[in-house]
Amino acid sequence: MNMSRGQFFRKREFTVLGLIVVLAIIFSLTTERFLSVSNLTNLLVQLAGTAISAIGMTMVIITGGIDVSVGSILGMSSVVAGKLLMANFPVVVILGAAIATGLLFGFFNGSLVAYGKIPPIIVTLGMLNIIRSLLFQLLGGRWISGVPPAIRVIGLGKWLGIPISMWIALILILFFTYFLNSRPLGRAIYAVGNNIEAARVSGVNLTRTILFVYALTGMLVGFAGLIYVARTGIVQTNTGTGFELEVIAAVVLGGTSILGGKGTIVGSLLGAFLVGIIKNGMVLLNVPALSEGLVIGALILISVVIDVVRARGERI
Amino acid sequence: METVLEVRGVSKSFGGVQALKGVNFALRSGEVHALVGENGAGKSTLIKIISGALLPDRGEIFYLDQPVTIDSPRKAQEMGISTVYQEPLVYNELSAVENIFLGREIRKPWGSIDWKAQEEKTKALFASLGLPYHFLREPMGELSVGLQQLVLIAKALAYESKVIIFDEPTAILTEHETERLFDIITKLRMRGVGIIYISHRLEEIFRIADRVTVMRDGEVRGVFSIGEVNRDRIVELMAGRLLVEAIERKGKKSDAPLLVVENLSKRGRFSDVSFQVFPGEILGFFGLVGSGRTDIVQTIFGLMRQDSGNIIYQGKTVHFSSPEEAMQSDIAYLPEDRKVQGLFPILGVGYNISITFLKEILGSFGVVREKKERNRGEEYVRRLNIKTPNLKTKVYSLSGGNQQKVVIAKWLGTTPRVLILDEPTRGVDVASKSEIHNLIAHLADEGLGIVMISSELPEILKMSDRIVVMHEGKITGVFDRAEATAEDVIRAATGERLISVER
Amino acid sequence: MKSVFNQIVENRMLFLLILFLILFVIFSVGVRGFFTFYNLTNMTQYGVELGLLALAEMLVILSGGGGIDLSVGSMLTLVAMVIGVLIGRAGLNPSLSIIIGILAGLGMGCVNGILVSYLRILPLIVTLASLYIYKSLALIVAVDPRFGPNPMPVSNFPENFYFVGQFRVGGIPFQVLFIFLPVILILYFLLEKHAFGRYLYGVGSNEKAALFSGISVTRVRLVVYTLAGLLSALSGWIITSRIASARPDIGLGYEMQAITIAVLGGVNIKGGEGTIGGVVLGVAIITLLYNGMQLAGIHQIWQLGSLGLVLVGSVFLNQLLLARRKF
Repeated sequence: MNMSRGQFFRKREFTVLGLIVVLAIIFSLTTERFLSVSNLTNLLVQLAGTAISAIGMTMVIITGGIDVSVGSILGMSSVVAGKLLMANFPVVVILGAAIATGLLFGFFNGSLVAYGKIPPIIVTLGMLNIIRSLLFQLLGGRWISGVPPAIRVIGLGKWLGIPISMWIALILILFFTYFLNSRPLGRAIYAVGNNIEAARVSGVNLTRTILFVYALTGMLVGFAGLIYVARTGIVQTNTGTGFELEVIAAVVLGGTSILGGKGTIVGSLLGAFLVGIIKNGMVLLNVPALSEGLVIGALILISVVIDVVRARGERI
Repeated sequence: METVLEVRGVSKSFGGVQALKGVNFALRSGEVHALVGENGAGKSTLIKIISGALLPDRGEIFYLDQPVTIDSPRKAQEMGISTVYQEPLVYNELSAVENIFLGREIRKPWGSIDWKAQEEKTKALFASLGLPYHFLREPMGELSVGLQQLVLIAKALAYESKVIIFDEPTAILTEHETERLFDIITKLRMRGVGIIYISHRLEEIFRIADRVTVMRDGEVRGVFSIGEVNRDRIVELMAGRLLVEAIERKGKKSDAPLLVVENLSKRGRFSDVSFQVFPGEILGFFGLVGSGRTDIVQTIFGLMRQDSGNIIYQGKTVHFSSPEEAMQSDIAYLPEDRKVQGLFPILGVGYNISITFLKEILGSFGVVREKKERNRGEEYVRRLNIKTPNLKTKVYSLSGGNQQKVVIAKWLGTTPRVLILDEPTRGVDVASKSEIHNLIAHLADEGLGIVMISSELPEILKMSDRIVVMHEGKITGVFDRAEATAEDVIRAATGERLISVER
Repeated sequence: MKSVFNQIVENRMLFLLILFLILFVIFSVGVRGFFTFYNLTNMTQYGVELGLLALAEMLVILSGGGGIDLSVGSMLTLVAMVIGVLIGRAGLNPSLSIIIGILAGLGMGCVNGILVSYLRILPLIVTLASLYIYKSLALIVAVDPRFGPNPMPVSNFPENFYFVGQFRVGGIPFQVLFIFLPVILILYFLLEKHAFGRYLYGVGSNEKAALFSGISVTRVRLVVYTLAGLLSALSGWIITSRIASARPDIGLGYEMQAITIAVLGGVNIKGGEGTIGGVVLGVAIITLLYNGMQLAGIHQIWQLGSLGLVLVGSVFLNQLLLARRKF
């Protein structure tokens, strides 16, 4: 990364990391189970899908866009994966199909935004509904359950004590962090979000960049869908409903500006972690899931207000 | 010295207005070539053509002795023609280094961006100019304008530019930053870069330029080596034989001032500004963009707050904390940017006119009395001769002149006592312009106190009873209409202190 | 000369009206049981709840500055739970409970409005946060300590609570006649006849010009978010009465449908453009579509899909029109 010393501590990532550490300490002191292997594994397994999807969402938001269709895409790819699993297709085929499903819808979103010049919120809002209907149709109102164990290793298996899905998430995060930081296309994503006019003058291919972020988001969410099936073994008609808000919350908490131009994948991962740890800790504390939203909502507001106050302090 | 860039017989017109008429211009490598002229003289059109933002209607451009077509800013940059704008186009959240290299990164064999190499190269560039480079990793948005400018100069060098255009680079720089910039320009010249330098500050031009081209009314009026010309000659050419006939006025100025501004200051914007506005007079405000004229009137109108000084209106000290309050005291302000600040383009003509005086035409329960609204709207359309199919027509579909009349109508509707007009005829066709001028004179005759800001000297000379000239936040001249000459006003606006008539 | 097609594309109301008529004719001819007095009056009740939310979205989107309200579904739910708990568990007087519930909605909208207009936080973020917060509060309110720590629906209402959601006057549902129509008329009055409407369109179409014209941008935004809370509250009350139950998950996903209908009705997502008539037509079209499809035996699942298709299709058409408009 291209960052001066001292800057790190002013970043949102640092605040979020601090919060995570504080919460982790609180939870490990107040509950017995928080630090147990099974709990931590559980926490990581649940996080993996959100973290992977947040990679794409971060890029979309950096360009100044948004994708609210990711919940439906996740549901759709779980259905596709689930169906193929039940028909005993080989894992490679299923993997390909899940990713292709996501890519298809992501590409469609991206085309409408980049070429159709329709505002992203409208495109993805429409697709959210359309994909959900297609998904219902495909499922025919039934559930998929009893997924064969072969695939579940992706969801529940472990290597060196860390769930495989989390390994995959970490590898993807590393790769795309490298991509965003060190590849011209990655930097073009920031350029588009910072100053679209300047980007045009610099020779950035605007339509290609925009198409790319939506298509990539689709692919990653498609993969997250597969992980979902592998983890839970169940696909329902409402699988993935509300997932988009969870991913957006993680990204926003992680310091990505909703106005575009600024943000990191690592920040989004931390944002996802923060949300995950709160959910997990509250369950352990027997604060039922009820007030989870209260805490998440309050955190979103607090972190943004801190930014507003800071911005006032730093610049005039 | 060889000629690096040559423009031959270039013309350009916008909707019937001839902005450039057969302009010839040549830039040698290793020279600083100043381009001067009043606003509207055609400088910026010429620059836009050279930098690829506009295509000429006629004429040719030669770059390194080859005829070229520069059809985009990107192409200009790739060719080696860079422009450092007053308000630069930057990526605020990205580092200085990245602002230089985005779009043409230095890459490693496997395609990654070579940050280290980019930074080294930038450091080398800065070092070769004798500049500090501790800020290279900071986000561009957190740098001062002066530093941002340095980054853009470095970017021009990274593109190995043979031509660098500076568009009023010192307008918003501190003195120290200005000195540093001159230093760099001298170094660039020694490297053989051709520099086009646009500035309204004549003293700067005599310090750093080798040659100067004076433009007026879309034509080149003279090209001189700096040694063979003096300041007076340049001012004379800029002003031309400016025979501006003052507009006919009937009313009489009253003796008691309506609005008094006393020692008004705001840090970084304007300082110690005092003037008076009398009922029945037009007070012209002349000065360059950034001279503080707009900031002052916006302070009066409640859009900003002064650090010190008083505004006395009708004998009482006032503090308006919002435009709403200023409007309640019958002050109206027609802002300079019609599309952004003045109009609701996607709404109707009638809507745009009535929005400022809606409170006067409300019935019970806050209902807008539409008949009254329509009558008032039609009245203004007639009185100002606004050409529109009807009151429901969306404003964006009108011509610039008619749009401006809509904005004027909107403010006349508030029946103000003080009417502040910020560039009332910018981007307006000739016919509408003279209609607007007549209207302004008529309003003053009726007893309004009018403050008229303009960057157009002829307009100022034609309309004003008195002229206040500003330079860098200070008043540098106050003239009565009878004794004001174009040369004096230009001198004051370029920084000479010439307060001839104090009131 | 303008072709008929151009006319239709350029006049949103005309376009929606034609879409409405086409659907109406198709369903009347092709779907058994559609063109009956009972069906035509009965189906209107389903448009009310979503319709009120769509009107709420219309107001906030109109106000510009990235205006959007993701929290309408959560506000609806919380109001439903407050009313439900006050009547069903605390045994409070129904009228009083309803008033408290509606005031609660007003308050929630007001909080959104303060955060958006005075603290200048982007509406998407404010309402994303309040979506979570209000939803969570609804769950907490729904907990009945007598039956353990889990949120529970409330269903024991007195008979007189059902009038708003279940009664009919001359065959027409009560809530259509006495709530939805009055709300439409009042909003029409506010937007088209009242000074407030002028200010709202001004703020939404050009915030800066509004400021320079002496309009208080913050006040206008505060009012629309508060109104959005009020409309969501009305919707929560009606839905509780109609289904005779207050459930803590009742408003799930409504925000997306409401935004969709508002945009379908011609509200420009960037603010400042859109009419109440358009949104009402949007509501009518969606109600018709849902009902017709249901009667035609098309599975309910296609309701959402058709909504999405109509949205993307109509905005795409709009985009073609915008491309032609010069500034």
